[in-house]
Amino acid sequence: MIKTFTHNELIQYVYDELPNDVKTNLECALQTDDDLAEECAELLISKRSLERVSKGPRQSCISNILLYSKTFNMQS
Amino acid sequence: MIYHFYTNSPKTQTLAYDINGYITFILYVYMNISQRSDSELVSLYITGNEKAFEILVNRHKNRVFTSIMLIVKDEDVAEDLLQDSFIKAIHTMKGGRYNEEGKFSSWISRIAHNLAIDHFRKEKRNPTIQLEDNIKAFNSLSYAEDSAEALQIREETFARLKAMIELLPENQKEVLIMRHYADMSFQEIADATGVSINTALGRMRYALINLRKKMSNQPKVYDQNLYTQ
Repeated sequence: MIKTFTHNELIQYVYDELPNDVKTNLECALQTDDDLAEECAELLISKRSLERVSKGPRQSCISNILLYSKTFNMQS
Repeated sequence: MIYHFYTNSPKTQTLAYDINGYITFILYVYMNISQRSDSELVSLYITGNEKAFEILVNRHKNRVFTSIMLIVKDEDVAEDLLQDSFIKAIHTMKGGRYNEEGKFSSWISRIAHNLAIDHFRKEKRNPTIQLEDNIKAFNSLSYAEDSAEALQIREETFARLKAMIELLPENQKEVLIMRHYADMSFQEIADATGVSINTALGRMRYALINLRKKMSNQPKVYDQNLYTQ
């Protein structure tokens, strides 16, 4: 019998938090269940969009942190 | 019996003992410090290795900074909060209060998240007037090799995504930031926000679906030199 997966399990799969045995079963289900595969694809697209976007601080900000650490290290 | 341990210098020592307990050989394996795990870097930093701390900061600065930027409006404020987060981390690690059981990435992100939320609440009570537009050139090392055009596209993409995230209901936004940028598991998010793991998962699902809808509604941008209206 093919197990029906919940939306929450799909989210856990997208974020790689499913136990391996459930993950394997879900991947089998993705090959036969078009609705599940479509929802999974939509979630992955959103997730990847978020992953692509990253913003960094200026180098001066990082230098300040490292300087603080060195000074703190010398005092202690 | 083989003992495998790390030293403060960038190499790993492996000592092999025979059955009588005599050292039969010593193997030095040179390991680049930048390849060490967060947990190893924290241990090295606590014993005085500043390079280890530098690697930790550079490894996590962008993700932590992005998570702060999604909560506060101003980049200068976000940088101040990033500094405060790492300073708090320095005091905790050097004060011997760092809990080695958790992940460093989740821990530093949680510090930053809490500071950003505190700031956001204070700002809500005492709003300040912003005199200038926030968009400014970044000179972060991670962007150093990007062209001006690539940098601009990245800035615009970030601004669009940030605007979309800001429109999400507060509980969805919170889970999204914690999972995506604070590197917390859904169970950790559930514990931190006082909800069940199923609620946290459900909120994340709606956040991703809502974002996808908003992305689909975004107008397509074409190069106007190639396509005339």
